Amino acid sequence: MNTHTESRLHALDAVRGFALLLGVAFHAALSFMPGWPPGIWAMNDNSPSQFLSDAAFVTHIFRMSLFFFIAGYFGRLLYQRLGASAFWANRGKRIALPLVAGWVVLFPLISFIWVTGITKVFGGTLPPMPEMPKTPGAFPLTHLWFLYQLLLIYVAVIAGRSLFARLDPAQKLRNLVDKAVTGSLRAPIAVFTLGLPVASALMSLSFWFYWQGIPTPDQSLIPQIPASVGFGTAFVFGWLVHRSRDALSLITSRWFVHLMLGVIATGWLLHTMHASPMAQPGLTKTLFAMIFGVAIWGWVLGLTGAALRFLSNYSATRRYIADASYWIYLMHLPVVAAMQVWVGHWPLHWGVKYPFILVASFAILFVSYHYLVRPTFIGQLLNGRKHRIFSRKPETPVPSPTSPDPFSPLPANTAGGAVAQLRGITKRYGAVTALNSIDIEVRRGELLAVLGPNGAGKSTAISLWLGLIEPDAGVVTLLGGEPQDIARRRGLGVMMQDVEMPKELRARELVALASSYYDNPLEVDETLRRAGISQFADRAYGKLSGGQKRQAQFAVAICGRPKVLFLDEPTVGLDVQAREAMWKSIRALLADGCSIVLTTHYLEEAEALADRVAVVAKGRVIASGSVDDMRALVSCRQISCESSLTAAEVGSWPGVVDVALEDQKLRITATDAEGVVRRLLASDARLARLEVRQAGLNEAFNELTREAA
Amino acid sequence: MNALALNSVDTASAPRASAMGAYFTETRYELIRMIRNPGVAVPVLAMPLALYALFALVIFGEAINKDPNLGIFFFAAFSIMAVTMQALFGTGVTLALERDMGLLRLKRAQPAPPAAWVVAKIASGLVLAVLAYAPIVIVALTTGKLALDAGQVAAFSVALLVGSIPFCAMGLMVGSLASGTAAPGYALLIYLPGCYMSGMFFPLPKSMYWQTPIWPQFHVEQFAMHLAGITKYQYEPLSMAIATMLGYTVLFAGIAIWRLSRKG
Repeated sequence: MNTHTESRLHALDAVRGFALLLGVAFHAALSFMPGWPPGIWAMNDNSPSQFLSDAAFVTHIFRMSLFFFIAGYFGRLLYQRLGASAFWANRGKRIALPLVAGWVVLFPLISFIWVTGITKVFGGTLPPMPEMPKTPGAFPLTHLWFLYQLLLIYVAVIAGRSLFARLDPAQKLRNLVDKAVTGSLRAPIAVFTLGLPVASALMSLSFWFYWQGIPTPDQSLIPQIPASVGFGTAFVFGWLVHRSRDALSLITSRWFVHLMLGVIATGWLLHTMHASPMAQPGLTKTLFAMIFGVAIWGWVLGLTGAALRFLSNYSATRRYIADASYWIYLMHLPVVAAMQVWVGHWPLHWGVKYPFILVASFAILFVSYHYLVRPTFIGQLLNGRKHRIFSRKPETPVPSPTSPDPFSPLPANTAGGAVAQLRGITKRYGAVTALNSIDIEVRRGELLAVLGPNGAGKSTAISLWLGLIEPDAGVVTLLGGEPQDIARRRGLGVMMQDVEMPKELRARELVALASSYYDNPLEVDETLRRAGISQFADRAYGKLSGGQKRQAQFAVAICGRPKVLFLDEPTVGLDVQAREAMWKSIRALLADGCSIVLTTHYLEEAEALADRVAVVAKGRVIASGSVDDMRALVSCRQISCESSLTAAEVGSWPGVVDVALEDQKLRITATDAEGVVRRLLASDARLARLEVRQAGLNEAFNELTREAA
Repeated sequence: MNALALNSVDTASAPRASAMGAYFTETRYELIRMIRNPGVAVPVLAMPLALYALFALVIFGEAINKDPNLGIFFFAAFSIMAVTMQALFGTGVTLALERDMGLLRLKRAQPAPPAAWVVAKIASGLVLAVLAYAPIVIVALTTGKLALDAGQVAAFSVALLVGSIPFCAMGLMVGSLASGTAAPGYALLIYLPGCYMSGMFFPLPKSMYWQTPIWPQFHVEQFAMHLAGITKYQYEPLSMAIATMLGYTVLFAGIAIWRLSRKG
């Protein structure tokens, strides 16, 4: 399993756990709802709260859709990994069994607490309880309805999948769907389109209290339309997101837009609902349903994206909570309701009682998880593995078994001393593929020169290492981890192209400012000396010449004693002396064990400094190896002579790669130098000043990039 | 793998740079830059003062002597303009220019604490705001056109400084969306309508009251009026003014951070 995929799964597991735990907080708030008639919930607290009512409404908008979205993603992942029969066996154990067993245990408990609570609410006498409606399929599923709904959706989606596979053997339709998924996320209009199905289902409801959102299908075994449409859409979209390689990164990068849309839509919903809580047929109802759809998907995509962006690293605490969340959600209702009944008549403000209910319930539920579930067969059943209670060894960061690797594994890391790697990286900008599944690594203490024509993808590769952009596929590592991590970035130094530093500041001040970012920087004067800029260190940057500016930027790059140094065209505009000085500093850094990535157009620079060369063209690494390897790879030789033959004539001979006429001399690059020389001598008796030599990197590079084009 | 592990241990166990140090240094150099390049700030500093002098001393000088409330109204109008405009332009235009320079890309690549740079920008915006506000308050007090006691002036001044924060955020938003050449234009485009439509410069007819809460200037003015205890010009509760200023700050700064993290 590669780290990139793993990190995504950590984040998605965290989201699923969050959605479930949010449900506990939601139910814990329900005894505080202002204006609810007695008997609707187990308790009516004597300190109702408009705030909790609004907060509960907001969480209820999205929490189940979020759960079903993630369930869809993991659903496909599991189906891909296990195949049909093992998938159903797995779901039977993890979903169907907890549904049946949980209901048998929980329903009597819940009923008991409800009867106790309602008796308390009515002052000691139990009023006649409403009977279950006498409609076919009526059944009190309680909060376990979500498992039942999930099973129904599995059946429907997998049936639909086989149908698709039959009707669309060439995958044309499915490719179209994939494009629609990524296109709608990129636009980003998915927030609006995904809400449409559930909005139309809600609009058609004859009785709709806005507060209830998607009516909970907990009273019947017959699938209810709004819930099936709403949660079905969420599940299917999660499934499709897993199909697509780009969708998750689009969700990640657009997290803020999505979240803002969710927040704005929610603000409008709250405002409208306060004016009139019951839907009347008309424009407001239609609008409410539409905006409800936007709110659902704004939150779902926004929260998922934010988790992918910020929670993708492994955390033992989050892992534990995510593991515990399933058990906690299954068991929470009787515990929470019992707490609500207990505290309901205490003469205290809801601001005290609500947190008390939450803390006490979570304490009971986590303790029960830790001792009754995690180390026992129940944990094995719910989460796929048992844990020892007191594990001395820190657990290895393995995502839960419900989260297998969605993509094929990348080649294993074979390099012992790599300090920075790009593995299987693809990066697209719209329709342009800047990098196409490339692998490059930089080893400890070496200088890797990245060569290539303009637009080859060199700067994109550097930007990935610097954490400025994220790949569409593949793994970027810097000093053993993600480059976005600021602790790792303290190990890098960087000199970029096309950067102007603040012109009012002096070179010395620029170095001092950059030094403040590092843990253990060089003394400012030492940096200035090593970069060879001491004599103009007190001149304003704006007054320096082009070459001096580059030297000042080099000083900024090396001030933090970097372990990895990225130099993007460092010597452009330098005079020979300054360039020699910079080369000297670079060699000194290498001798100190610093690893350097250098992009350059000056091939002699690569020849002078590089341990290894990687040639990039059209987004691919077309060759990599030592400078000598590069020369050998193309095995070209350079022939020059004075001749009456024309370049065009010689150019058509076998074994000739390139011919140019320079200073009255033919310059021929040839793979078969002996053959060409024999033919030259035979064809032109007056041939003079013949010279044959091994080709330099320049010729090697030209030929390689021409081959790629 | 060993080398990798070693490397990550190295980075993790090295003594942490003092985060405060980076914040402080960044702010210090931001202010140094401002001092060394005063040309940018002068027009924006001078304009509100000139306008205040024109209206409060020349045109309405007599009227203010008769109705001191009018003096407070003009003082509020132009001091808010001075402070918020500095905050907006001081942060927005420089941010846009620095984005054009590629400086932001470099900062993102360096291990600079992301917030240090934002804090530095806001700090220099606030310093400019003080520089723009001070001459107005001096002129107002020395010419006797401001009928407020010392405590009220102090409260009003504090309110203005706090009120400039949403405009710093607005500046960051404009600067993160627009290019260096376009930023001043866009900043004016979203700033100037608020000065007129919020009722800051002249009293509005009742039919236009509904739209005043849209403009951040309105809430800053209300905040200042509450803090200084000037009841005549209070139109919304203090809590509303604070909540809206906070909301705008979060919205603008959020958009800016979102945009900067994607584009740089």
